[in-house]
Amino acid sequence: MTSLRKNNLIFIFCACAMLFSNVAAATELNIYSHRQPFLIDPFLKAFTEKTGIKTNVLYSTKGLAQRLKAEGENSPADVILTVDIGRLYIYQDLGLLSQVQSDILQSNIPAHLRSTDNTWFGLSKRARIVVTSKGRVAVGDIKNIEDLADPKWEGRICVRPGSHVYNRALMASMIASHGAEAAEQWAEGLVANLARRPQGNDRAQVKAVYEGQCDVAIINNYYFGKLKYSEDENQRQWAQALHLVFPNQGADERGAHVNISGGGIAKHSKNKEAAQALLEFLTEPVAQQLYGAINFEYPVNPNVPASDELQSWGAFKEDKLPILKIAQLSREAQKIIDRVGW
Amino acid sequence: MLLALRRSFDIWSASVFILAVAIFCPILSLIYLSFGDSEGLWTHLLESVLARYVSTTVALMLGVSCLTLLFGVTTAWIVAAYQFRFSKLLDMVILLPIACPAYLVAYAYTDFFEYAGPVQGALRDMMGWKTARDYYFPEIRSLGGAIFVLSSVLYPYVYLLSRTAFRQIPASFYEVAAISNRNVFWNICLPLARPAIVAGLALVCMEVVSDFGTVEFFSLETLTLGIFNVWIGMNNITAAAQISTFTFIFIILLLLTEMYSRSRKRFNDTSRKQTVAKPKIVTGFKAVLLYVVCLTPVIFGFVTPAAILLWNVVKSADMAAFLAVADVLKNSLFISTLGAGLIMGSAILVASAAKFNGGRIIQVVGNLSATGYAFPGTMLAIGVLVFLGFVDRGINAVSWGFGNLHLSGTILALLFAYLVRFQAVGYGAVASGLTKIPPNLISCSRSLGMTSHSTMRRITIPLIRNSIIAGGVLVFVDIMKELPMTLLLRPFDFETLATYSYQFAHDELMDQASLPALMIVVVGLIPVVFLNKLLRAYD
Repeated sequence: MTSLRKNNLIFIFCACAMLFSNVAAATELNIYSHRQPFLIDPFLKAFTEKTGIKTNVLYSTKGLAQRLKAEGENSPADVILTVDIGRLYIYQDLGLLSQVQSDILQSNIPAHLRSTDNTWFGLSKRARIVVTSKGRVAVGDIKNIEDLADPKWEGRICVRPGSHVYNRALMASMIASHGAEAAEQWAEGLVANLARRPQGNDRAQVKAVYEGQCDVAIINNYYFGKLKYSEDENQRQWAQALHLVFPNQGADERGAHVNISGGGIAKHSKNKEAAQALLEFLTEPVAQQLYGAINFEYPVNPNVPASDELQSWGAFKEDKLPILKIAQLSREAQKIIDRVGW
Repeated sequence: MLLALRRSFDIWSASVFILAVAIFCPILSLIYLSFGDSEGLWTHLLESVLARYVSTTVALMLGVSCLTLLFGVTTAWIVAAYQFRFSKLLDMVILLPIACPAYLVAYAYTDFFEYAGPVQGALRDMMGWKTARDYYFPEIRSLGGAIFVLSSVLYPYVYLLSRTAFRQIPASFYEVAAISNRNVFWNICLPLARPAIVAGLALVCMEVVSDFGTVEFFSLETLTLGIFNVWIGMNNITAAAQISTFTFIFIILLLLTEMYSRSRKRFNDTSRKQTVAKPKIVTGFKAVLLYVVCLTPVIFGFVTPAAILLWNVVKSADMAAFLAVADVLKNSLFISTLGAGLIMGSAILVASAAKFNGGRIIQVVGNLSATGYAFPGTMLAIGVLVFLGFVDRGINAVSWGFGNLHLSGTILALLFAYLVRFQAVGYGAVASGLTKIPPNLISCSRSLGMTSHSTMRRITIPLIRNSIIAGGVLVFVDIMKELPMTLLLRPFDFETLATYSYQFAHDELMDQASLPALMIVVVGLIPVVFLNKLLRAYD
């Protein structure tokens, strides 16, 4: 064998070794995240500063559970971070999460926002709220989410497609409190009231209210904050045109539907201690306040007050339904959404 | 001597066979997934949404097919048959939309054309209209809007392949048409270019069926949207795999029908005289008309969306944003170049083995290996994951746990995934090039004692060089734009321009998303411009 050939072989071997190697050093945490890097970076920076543990992130909106499952014991993943309970539940359902015994997590997170088997944990809350046009809808005209099915709103409501996780979760909460049949009737009524075919995202619904295409929309609360403080002057104007309604606040009402962002530890994680430290860190006051500061989300930790900005939107009562119920009713909810054509 | 030849042939065919099977394995994994329990969801689907999914998908496919044929074949014919001022430049300009990812174009157009956008806003100001009820304006988030957006960026597939085919038609055929007083386009060129046009159209159809970004943004209930509703919404990956398998079979049947209908025809040229027809020189008003026809789709698919992105960048970007994007750009260039090389190599091997060497089996496996394009990217990525998981466990089993050696989450896995998805693009280009080579040329070379390898190197590849270049450009740009597979299969902290842009676009932060998006477009232009020049030099 000529030396040139030998060199080539060595080079190829090294190149292969580089291509194959994704094994991180022991002090690094590998995170599979459904949240965008730019949203979680500030949290991870703070965590690394405090503990010296470096983090690596893989962000994808879909399929991370399937990747984790296919990788099995070989998976490099330590921590899973998601938005929406439905996604968290898929990990639990596929048996991909390990149980975490942590007093800190137990005391920082209310029972209805974490799993009963200690596999997943809610880390922040977002409320699904109604917004109305300041000029065209009188304050107090809409009190409950149920009101949106009233024929008097015909042609005046905008909402994104029902199949989106936020609306599917809302639908599930309707089933939980009224039963499938009544929930389907409500959905039919809502669809009959729509000003246009469901389209766009929550931001687009606000835009439509501002532009007068419709008078009422359903959005997640943090979109209001994002628009209010947008770099784009137009978007700040859209927010100005809105009146916020936290639905179902009456004394005998259940409260506004909330969803969570959350996380868990991968079953085959090789760094479970560090992984637990990260989850715990995310429920502590520093991180809990960051959720409000960065993305206008509510803390889960009852000892941490919501940010001043969030408080200025008004205090509200939340639906205390065990959040797991939302995930379990998700399929039923999607079926109704399919049937009513939302 | 004979024995030696025999053996080299066998080893060669066998490795091509293994390659093609490996490429097909992720698809098999998906089909395997679809044999699970769909928990009675089909009854529900049939009763509620399936008819809607199917009819929307078919309508979208038909609409996009018609419009891409109109855009692609017309422009290809003009560029191939006529010569006018700057027609060489135009040749390149027509390709530009290929660098634009469809979903980003959809985002840009929506901002532009929707009720709150500048166009309707200006109209309202001008005409004094107050609300949406005062006037009619076509809804961009609609079936028509999706057909428009998808066709505007996909027609170059048809253009590139059919133009190359038009250019290879010998002058003698034109003369025959002139003598028998028949229209040369309809009677000679269009029929002869059919394999190439169909190869392009097949790519377009597969792209349409597997598109998620655009249809999701426009809220069109296609089968692909349905796949995700069933998978994520109903937590049932089995039913999702079943829908994608059925879609896949539908597409394959469509392609088989077309292949069967031309199976008795031959498109290779056995005449001795190989002079290619000279383009007709056109000037004046006629030339202007040709410009208008050729530039219209470019304005739709490139100029307008790129201008919108550029405007977003100008009004918002700062130096830090540029630096961040420069870093990501390196990754994109690296992976696209490597991927394009790999895929073209594999396409040449499999396609030429299927045509000249192998028996029926290699042909079938070769064709099957080029079908990954028909699956939505995310579903295909899951097929890749399942397959790689299987391989990893195999490696671990035989290596006695040596290290943590595995494929999933490596650059290699990502490259393999691209191979699975874009083999169709490379294979389509190479195979349509090969139809022009008469089999007796290869037989002749082999019987003169050349090995398969040297026949390939000295005869086949030089003869189909143009098709290889065309295919390589398409694959490079495709990888550059690819989002769902990269998102799911990449290593930690590995960003491409597409994934980097997406994290912002996903949150509707169009200003931040626009710079990386514009970079995809700009970088995609470089190989298009450069290789197109090369292509012309060989024509």
